[in-house]
Amino acid sequence: MRDLFNPTPEHKALRDMARSFVEAEVEPQALEHDRAERFNQPLFRRLGDLGLLGVTVDERWGGSGLDAVAAVIAHEELSASDPGLCLAYLAHSMLFANNLSLNGSDAQRARYLPGACSGALVGGMCMSEPDAGTDVLGMRTSARVVDGGYVLNGAKMWITNGALDDHTLGDVFLVYARVEGDARAALSMLIVEKGDAGFSLGQRIKDKLGMRASGTAELVFEDCFVPAERLVGERGAATLHMMRNLELERLTLAAMSLGIARRCVEIMNSYASDRAAFGKPLRDYGQIQAHIADSYAAYMAGRSYVYNVAASLSLDSAGNRVDSDGVKLYCARMAKEVADRAIQVLGGYGYVGEYNVERLWRDARLLEIGGGTNEAHQKNMTRDLAKVRALR
Amino acid sequence: MKIIVTAKRVTDYDSKVIPTADGKAINFDNVDFKMNPFCEIAVEEAIRLVDAAGEGEVVVVAMGDEEATQEVRKALAMGAHRGVLVECDESKLDSDAVARMLVKLCQDERPDLLLLGKQAVDGDSNQVGQLVAEHLGWPQATFAYKLSVEGKGATVQREVDGGVETVRLSFPAVITTDLRLNEPRYPSLPNIMKAKKKPLETMSPEDLGVALGAPKVEVVSYGLPSSRKAGQVVDSVATLVSKLVNEAKAL
Ligand SMILES: Cc1cc2nc3c(=O)[nH]c(=O)nc-3n(C[C@H](O)[C@H](O)[C@H](O)COP(=O)(O)OP(=O)(O)OC[C@H]3O[C@@H](n4cnc5c(N)ncnc54)[C@H](O)[C@@H]3O)c2cc1C
Repeated sequence: MRDLFNPTPEHKALRDMARSFVEAEVEPQALEHDRAERFNQPLFRRLGDLGLLGVTVDERWGGSGLDAVAAVIAHEELSASDPGLCLAYLAHSMLFANNLSLNGSDAQRARYLPGACSGALVGGMCMSEPDAGTDVLGMRTSARVVDGGYVLNGAKMWITNGALDDHTLGDVFLVYARVEGDARAALSMLIVEKGDAGFSLGQRIKDKLGMRASGTAELVFEDCFVPAERLVGERGAATLHMMRNLELERLTLAAMSLGIARRCVEIMNSYASDRAAFGKPLRDYGQIQAHIADSYAAYMAGRSYVYNVAASLSLDSAGNRVDSDGVKLYCARMAKEVADRAIQVLGGYGYVGEYNVERLWRDARLLEIGGGTNEAHQKNMTRDLAKVRALR
Repeated sequence: MKIIVTAKRVTDYDSKVIPTADGKAINFDNVDFKMNPFCEIAVEEAIRLVDAAGEGEVVVVAMGDEEATQEVRKALAMGAHRGVLVECDESKLDSDAVARMLVKLCQDERPDLLLLGKQAVDGDSNQVGQLVAEHLGWPQATFAYKLSVEGKGATVQREVDGGVETVRLSFPAVITTDLRLNEPRYPSLPNIMKAKKKPLETMSPEDLGVALGAPKVEVVSYGLPSSRKAGQVVDSVATLVSKLVNEAKAL
């Protein structure tokens, strides 16, 4: 039988490896790091030892050279225990490493990717700004052409891996900006390193609802000089990089939703057997059955959608926007609702950290905002669907 | 240094196994399979020993249906050099049949060492290593929790009741692994991909010259452990003692 979720033996081996690692090493630290709002950098490095940080990066640059399905498996498995750590993983592996591996020059790849794949460097991607999120082309960060490079000015907001702790910047970032004089839709991408003069940590953003095991920051560029060799691709051509990479970002964010939903289904399912009320196990009550069965069906529907899209998503071309928006729109909401049902099935126990569904519910909420809000997906999809008459 | 190591495919110890209605077999629906954890320890140890020796090879062996290829590939991804799958009907396998096939393999391959798990977590028989050693006339050390190789032999520490026993044996030898011998590595993703290209030979029991007849051990029935009775809360030591004496008859 063809297994949609593990299309090859290597995908299955990846899932087995990731799951046993997650159960033994990731699960025991998840709640504690959420509580402390701390990024677990040593554990993140171990993802490098396992070849997960460069899952889609070519072997030439220290990666594992796998496809979108493999990326989905890694995110699904990590997220089943620790979505916060997984978000840091996503920002690094998908938004930084995969992006640079597709769009960078060989010199840029050689300089950053081996460190990114091993975990020696922690990377991120900067698109959003304090005053422009969904309206990404409304960004104001600007690059002025000077002798030998660019001078960057502006601020980026909500940057995952922007801060590794309260005071430490992440190591390297892909920053979208507009070169002065260029058209509104002609963005450019520059590599900015920790230590560049004029680049600083504006603030580490604390007290998030969820995803607290990932560091989120505002990053500030004040007359920050970036040498010309750190321009990624052509000047003004980065809007396409952004669109292409957003497809993989959204697919893997949807995969994170799957991990959350699977875990919540498992937890409510076993709780309903173990817990009795009025002399019967909870699972004998129709209202509880509705929570469990509806959750399972919604999870499997989302999972089938995600793996179906993943199987046809090629990393190096755009063109899956309706469905890369679609999987995230469907799965983010699904995961939140499944987590919500899990809390309900567990009653008071669901409302506290020990049973994990409380944390997973908080983490799930981000997936309706980050990487595109639900409304942004609806807007994009409806615009693209306007060109379609019949669905094949 | 050449080591043969086993990788048995067993039911995942986290899965719930239920007997079929007639009690004659196990219902494997919704059950996951994994490499026997004691085999995983044996594979890890074999890789470390060959790495430390700086030369040689680790040959991993599984027996069963084609699905067991996954366990061979996992061992290859951990670092074993080549694999052998003896494809056969699992219902015909008992410790005796497995041992006879391993004996033939050892005679063909002539390893310095055969490393196995002390037992498989599904059947819990704890027999194969001992049987092979007896058939081959090789020295054996079971339940190894520390192992060091010196020249053409090894020193093995075994956990026995109330202490540690140290034995020395000369190669070729059979060693079975206990839980504390090492912590097996996770196969990395690049190594999972490389394992795909490592040689894996599939053979039949006949290729080995072994005829699998009816197993020597016949399972009469499988049953679930009886469920525990609910506990009782007692209000005084006197009641407790009286219950222990009269109901539990423990005193
Ligand atoms: C924890 C976290 C991590 C993040 N990590 C990163 C990162 O690593 N890199 C990065 O670049 N960004 C990151 N983001 C930013 C994220 O992508 C943005 O928050 C998101 O795109 C929404 O932008 P905004 O917050 O500015 O909201 P806005 O765009 O201001 O939206 C506010 C509300 O208005 C709605 N809205 C906006 N426009 C429309 C419209 N046209 N029609 C209908 N409704 C509309 C939105 O849907 C939303 O409900 C992160 C955010 C968070 C919270």
